[in-house]
Amino acid sequence: MKRKLILLSLFLIALLFVSGCWNRRELNDLAITVGMGIDKSGENYRVSTQVVIPSQVAGKKGGIQTPVTMYKETGESLLEAIRKMTTASPRKIYASHLRVLVLGESLAREGIGDALDLLSRDQELRTDFFIVIAKKTTAEKTLKILTQLEKIPSVNMFASLETSEKSWAPTTTITLDQLIAELLSEGKHPVLTGIQVIGSQEIGETSENLDQIDPSAKVKYSGLAVFKKDKLIGWLNEEESKAYTYINDEIKSTVGVITCPEGGKLSLEMMHSKTTVKGSVTGNQPTINIGIRAQMNIAEVQCSVDLTKTETIAELEKLSNQKLEGFIEASIKKVQRKYKVDIFGFGDIIHRTHPKAWKKLKKDWDQNFTKMPVTVKVDSRIRHLGAVSSSLLKDMEKKE
Amino acid sequence: MNNKQSSQPLQQNKQSSDPHNSALHSSLQDNIQQVKKMLGNSSDIIIREIEIGSTELIRAGIFYTDGLTDTPSIQNFIKESLLCDIHANLDQSISSEQNVLGLLKNRFLGVGEIQDVTDINSLLSSLLSGDVVLLLDGCTQGFAIGMRGGKDRGVMESTTESVIRGPKEGFTENMRTNAALIRRKIKDSRLWMETKSIGRVTHTDVAVMYIKGIVNDKILEEVHTRLDRIDIDGILESGYIEELIQDETYTPFPTVYYSERPDVIAAELLEGKVAIIVDGTPNVLIVPALFISFTHAAEDYYQRADISSLIRIIRYISMFVALLAPSLYIAVTTFHQEMLPTQLLIGLAAQREGVPFPAFIEALMMEVAFEVLREASLRMPKAIAQAISIVGTLVIGTAAVEAGVVSAVMVIVVSITAISSFVLPAFPMSMSFRMLRFPMMGLAASFGLFGIILGVIALVLHLCSLRSFGVPYMSPLAPFIKADNKDTIIRVPWWGMFSRPRLINQKNIVREQNNAPSPEAPQNNSGG
Repeated sequence: MKRKLILLSLFLIALLFVSGCWNRRELNDLAITVGMGIDKSGENYRVSTQVVIPSQVAGKKGGIQTPVTMYKETGESLLEAIRKMTTASPRKIYASHLRVLVLGESLAREGIGDALDLLSRDQELRTDFFIVIAKKTTAEKTLKILTQLEKIPSVNMFASLETSEKSWAPTTTITLDQLIAELLSEGKHPVLTGIQVIGSQEIGETSENLDQIDPSAKVKYSGLAVFKKDKLIGWLNEEESKAYTYINDEIKSTVGVITCPEGGKLSLEMMHSKTTVKGSVTGNQPTINIGIRAQMNIAEVQCSVDLTKTETIAELEKLSNQKLEGFIEASIKKVQRKYKVDIFGFGDIIHRTHPKAWKKLKKDWDQNFTKMPVTVKVDSRIRHLGAVSSSLLKDMEKKE
Repeated sequence: MNNKQSSQPLQQNKQSSDPHNSALHSSLQDNIQQVKKMLGNSSDIIIREIEIGSTELIRAGIFYTDGLTDTPSIQNFIKESLLCDIHANLDQSISSEQNVLGLLKNRFLGVGEIQDVTDINSLLSSLLSGDVVLLLDGCTQGFAIGMRGGKDRGVMESTTESVIRGPKEGFTENMRTNAALIRRKIKDSRLWMETKSIGRVTHTDVAVMYIKGIVNDKILEEVHTRLDRIDIDGILESGYIEELIQDETYTPFPTVYYSERPDVIAAELLEGKVAIIVDGTPNVLIVPALFISFTHAAEDYYQRADISSLIRIIRYISMFVALLAPSLYIAVTTFHQEMLPTQLLIGLAAQREGVPFPAFIEALMMEVAFEVLREASLRMPKAIAQAISIVGTLVIGTAAVEAGVVSAVMVIVVSITAISSFVLPAFPMSMSFRMLRFPMMGLAASFGLFGIILGVIALVLHLCSLRSFGVPYMSPLAPFIKADNKDTIIRVPWWGMFSRPRLINQKNIVREQNNAPSPEAPQNNSGG
């Protein structure tokens, strides 16, 4: 018994050493990649990775060098390019903490499907990073711009997209699994947020960019990219992007500006919005009814209206309804006419509500989409007037 | 030294005990010679010859060990009982030796504890335990008079189990004092005590204490069997007994509980456990021991129930921290970096830049350094303790990090682990956890979280397989006994704990009346 125990424990101890510590990697053996850019270079992929230099970000010394470094390599496949990077990098690229994946516009126009395979297949990647499109530039260039408030540019991009989605609306956060789901869906084409480099690319790449109060170069989100399956076919402007987020019920908070009855502007802060999209099929004609219930506060008054009267509020609500309905309908019309792809997911709604009709409709759904009547009904409610009741302008008039 | 001295008399004792095993000589001189011979003429054995009676003198010998007896009372006793009063009365009745002895015992010896001594061995054992032995010339019988005394440490505040609220007294090295301390808590006729002498050379008094009617008789019997089985030359500390009677030797966990506090022992006795008091040890053993007892502090029962429960939960958390913190750190930083938030990962990576060792070696170094420091501060003379601890903190805390040998986070992890391990109220259990930390670190370094989970599973299996005097070690958690869980992870208020642990005492379970008074506002009494 005792001998057996001793033997067993000897084996166990030996096991500890023969295991070779299979996946063991020390923290200082990792090239922590927070941003990855994919561009097309001829037939090959050009992959650029933004790797954090930890001591520059969190170390005691910090701040002498740039906080990140970049490795880029061209290869027939993504993995080939990434592995090739070790010829320049002392550490293996470690992509679990990827925050942003930037796809170059030229790659996006040719199709992003192939590029996504590795990213979804590899077990090292988490699927919680955001995917954006470098608008009018390459992914590599976008990743090269140094940022100030968040030292790591990719983290900056990640946080900026997250906050702008929450409080401004015309951007949308899409993670890898969502994108793949949309690519596979028959009733919806994907949409990705675009990112632009504003200002001087040359200065933006050097630490000179960090020494200025108003940096020479910035990265900025602007508009949504419209895809037909996995190919980029065009861009939505800010208002259309906002309409997209309204229809997809992704509005958390935003600002709407309306014109007062007697001229002047009035800003409404969206506090809460709920969109319900209903589909119906009569004969072979699908229709979509969009209902939006919005609760808002009066945020800014630059005209003379008497906010103490309920009639005024009712009128403002009506104006807000018209405004919202107007631009949402216009945006849908534009997409129907210009891009002819269903980015709003109306097909999915018909699929869900009328599965039988969908079987016939899905064959040429995009065709059906362009001809489909869509009605928008907005029900705005103004809840709060803010800390003052009437505007300063009105008070001044009274005094005179 | 001590052992050498005491082993000589033993051999003499053995050699001489065969021919002289039996009765005392009738001649006092012979007896004195015999005792002197057997004790190697040791200078601390005082033999005083006196004569008692006035007309017919009887020679009497008084034997005692200097230092073990209460010297003033011996002097009093000789002066008052033997030299003065006796004279007048004794003469009349001296006819036979029986008479003298009876008379002395019944009328003249003004002391409480008297035992008859008839053979030389019991004479010696009484003498060496601190009794005064009185022999008369011409009698083959004498008395052992209980006058134990001598220098004692006295009851002092418990140093190893301190509390904020609750009694401060702690046990001493004297078994009698210890028993008295317990009896002061439980003044009941059912508190019984049985004394044994264990150790062929040391003849250490070992007392088994229990409350008759509450104790589980099977467990009591088992305790007696195991104690009687002990055959060893010396018992110098209760640890000897613990190791000789515990159920399982090859386990990191203690299966015998001990405490320095009379209130803790009293509480355990009330739960039906058996206390073993060993003379010369301020730590009283308690069996059966449950895992859960080691995580409970005396104060838990004196503080309000809600506070105690919260503190217990904190204690359990720190138990896991003490066991797993370094291994979790190793596993997460070397296998599962994706589990960390990005900012934290970058922060950790920045600290590890330039550290030449893998995290496992780093952790091992720091843990060993800490254990060395702990052991050193325990062993070294108290006067230089402070100097060493300053050096230790500076070297380990600051210099090692600045020199880039270890990362700062590792110092934090090791410190948290160390502090957490001291949260456990029972020292033996915190030792177990400290020891188990090292294999856990090894598992974490080779298999990551998978290894840690395997280790924990193995540990739980092992814990569940343990028994202490027949009682499952993990009870009442495994097997789960609902009623007993009122006092495990949390503690319900006293009015909610009606019952004693089910598995320990099967007969007498009710601790309180069933309709225990849950505190309610008095209904009739308005105002006042």
